[in-house]
Amino acid sequence: MHKVEFEQLEETLFHEKLDNGLTVYILPKKGFSKTFATFTTKYGSIDNHFVPQGGSEPIKVPDGIAHFLEHKMFEKEEGDVFQEFSKQGAAANAFTSFTRTAYLFSATGEIDKNVKTLLDFVQSPYFTEKTVEKEKGIIAQEITMYDDQPDWRLYFGIIENMYKNHPVKIDIAGTVESIQDITAEHLYTCYNTFYHPSNMVLFIVGNVDPDQMMALVKEDQAQKTFEEPTEITRIYPEEPKEVAIKERVLEMSVQKPKVFYGIKPEKLDLIGPEMLKHELAAQLAYELLFGRTSDFYHHAYENDWIDESYSFDYSLEQGFGYALVGSDTHKPEVLIKEIKHTLQNAVEKWPFGQEDLDRVRRKKIGFFLRALNSPEYIANQFTNYAFNEMNLFDVVPVLEELEVVDLQNAFALVSHESQQSVFTIMPPKKDEQ
Amino acid sequence: MFETINIAKGVNVHVNETTQFKTINFSIKFKDKLTKEKASARSILANVLQHSNEVYPSHTALRMVLDDLYGTSLYIDSSKRGNEHVVTLNVETVNDQYLSEKGVLEKVLNLMYIVLFKPNFENGLFKESIFTREKHSIVQRIESVFDEKTRYAQQRMMELALPNHPASITSNGTIEIVENVTNEQLVAEYNEMISQNEIEIYAVGDVKPEMIASYIREFFHFKDREKAIAVPPMELVKPEQPRVLEFEDMKQGKLHMAFFTPITFRDEKFPIMQLMNGVFGGYAHSKLFVNIREKESMAYYVSSSFASQFGLMFVLAGIDSKLEEKAVTLVLEQLEEVKKGNISDIELDQTKALLVNQLKEALDSARGQIDIYDQYMELTDRFEPEYMINKWKNVTKEDIALVAKELSLEMTYFLSGKEDETNA
Repeated sequence: MHKVEFEQLEETLFHEKLDNGLTVYILPKKGFSKTFATFTTKYGSIDNHFVPQGGSEPIKVPDGIAHFLEHKMFEKEEGDVFQEFSKQGAAANAFTSFTRTAYLFSATGEIDKNVKTLLDFVQSPYFTEKTVEKEKGIIAQEITMYDDQPDWRLYFGIIENMYKNHPVKIDIAGTVESIQDITAEHLYTCYNTFYHPSNMVLFIVGNVDPDQMMALVKEDQAQKTFEEPTEITRIYPEEPKEVAIKERVLEMSVQKPKVFYGIKPEKLDLIGPEMLKHELAAQLAYELLFGRTSDFYHHAYENDWIDESYSFDYSLEQGFGYALVGSDTHKPEVLIKEIKHTLQNAVEKWPFGQEDLDRVRRKKIGFFLRALNSPEYIANQFTNYAFNEMNLFDVVPVLEELEVVDLQNAFALVSHESQQSVFTIMPPKKDEQ
Repeated sequence: MFETINIAKGVNVHVNETTQFKTINFSIKFKDKLTKEKASARSILANVLQHSNEVYPSHTALRMVLDDLYGTSLYIDSSKRGNEHVVTLNVETVNDQYLSEKGVLEKVLNLMYIVLFKPNFENGLFKESIFTREKHSIVQRIESVFDEKTRYAQQRMMELALPNHPASITSNGTIEIVENVTNEQLVAEYNEMISQNEIEIYAVGDVKPEMIASYIREFFHFKDREKAIAVPPMELVKPEQPRVLEFEDMKQGKLHMAFFTPITFRDEKFPIMQLMNGVFGGYAHSKLFVNIREKESMAYYVSSSFASQFGLMFVLAGIDSKLEEKAVTLVLEQLEEVKKGNISDIELDQTKALLVNQLKEALDSARGQIDIYDQYMELTDRFEPEYMINKWKNVTKEDIALVAKELSLEMTYFLSGKEDETNA
């Protein structure tokens, strides 16, 4: 077992790669009563085109299948796994993102049992035509619920605008129509391809003894048999540099318009330390341009072009990413123009110096230290970073080394006019009442 | 958990000295009676005070100094609990042992003093442009509830079921009252908050109780104030219409049901009612989830919640608009099961285990410690998780059946998609 000490943060991380390929991380947290564990596969909604395990030809699977599979993992021949977790005093859950499916629990007791339950249920698939059919009504209601949420529609609207071919533009849950095509056989195909231990990470954080816990996981895995790990062939389409759609408007039952302005990054093949440096630098650049201390924010807020719903974000994965700036607004045209100007001005002349960098860097370090109080944040973020070959605990050292020119370079990759798009949700026109 | 130091009549400092967290959390809570007028004025006040002040006269200046203090978070929120309206100054700052710079804590305490005691006044009133802008912000906040149909449906039901009752008064007040608050009224409200409200001050982190108490004593000068007389919970009056159907342009139907119970937070049966709610609809092993979601495949979410301050229980579900009647029938069938005591040992044990887990987990965050301690203060002055755990331990299914029998369904509210809508 490897042991890494992060002295400044007062954290110690234990990790090991097991014989079957599973990567296990354990982070003891002093003073906490709870333990939080995530068991995550590097398989999300974008992995819809791949060569199945044991096959030679690529196949395409229905939209929403990774999420459907996540739902069906909880049902076994002997009943619902939630029941078992509940008996052991654990709150269990799961989520599916573009790139990951995570199964998790948090508990303040019976940790060994709960870890066993987590490993067992994710490693013993049970799908029948009957249980698959039964789930369709539930997921249809979930999709319908999201369809009524303007903020979700806004988010997906802008992603659809930015991406022409990449499957990131497909809603994670699929559509009510697309999930009708899902069969038990499909689920087994996806499961057997992506749920091999070598494609998964187990992260346990909280009130645990690392030696004892690692031994428990090892023993559990040694008792189970798995196929030899093979390289997974995932196929993603060519994606043009520019955005697919410049502007779109959707009408919905809202009290005032909502705007999301999206900027598609130019370089989507970054990974590892380069990716971490770029992501942090771009986040700081966007913080300076659109954060609460920016000229943009000041003017937009005082003039009532934005309200408390205002947000901005920069996120990067392998193959896709986005910067987003948006708010509910009575003045969508003005807001869109102002965001455009702010980007344009920064492209023409980078307006920030060392003092600005120092300030937002301090803010970001503080945010990171605050986040380390949260076992959930550590487990989720660390896993996400690990799948991108980055280390969460490098964040502070990398931040400390950033220079003004790094921010400029990062911004240059996420600012070009042809990579900008806007999506607006408008209230129904008054005369149609 | 917390050590309490009284620094003036009606003003207490509670400190949990712990190395569990990498940050230091503060909350200063100003408590007043909940009315629509108070809630409206105090929401504006919270926003105005966190916008800027005499020392940092613009929002940008205040946010810059916070960024410089390693992204110290500072916000003031307006919330309610039972009959009380609470304005809370929340601050979280990094413990400087993780930093190369020292003395951050004193700077943060000083900033808290500035935010509360040095507002952005101009000729004895709040700066007009900020006052106007923040009024508008609160109006927008109230309006935006409409966009989230689950929240909107719950709010509509409360307005219809219990008009003018604290249960339906939102912590932000009403648009009409907010728009009519004058600058003079807001200054009066501010003075009252600082000098007459009961105040609870919390600190969690690697700090010495005596240091925090003496700093606040020395710099904040909170004067003695009268303890408010506890107002008994307002009686629940039967709604005029037991069933309401409304329409909005949406795809999913939102079913919201309200039940009355004589059992509130202060009642000795409160822990039994928590278990009843858990068995009925609080969790993924509960009767509502198992029968309506898993067996019938009718809903993605269906759950119950117990609003113990008022003696209300709610059931919420998102369903196909055509299935409202069936869903209501199923919910009431499951309630009948609980009333009959048809609860397995496993259901009871699971619910106890999860309640215990929830409470212990909540205490793993500084904010959770503050909230729980503040809530239980009126029941016990030395709150520890065992206080509740021991109360849940010996509850039987017969006890649960008895409290279930005291529930009465008083309102069924359904927000449906437009009838003429073709399902695209």
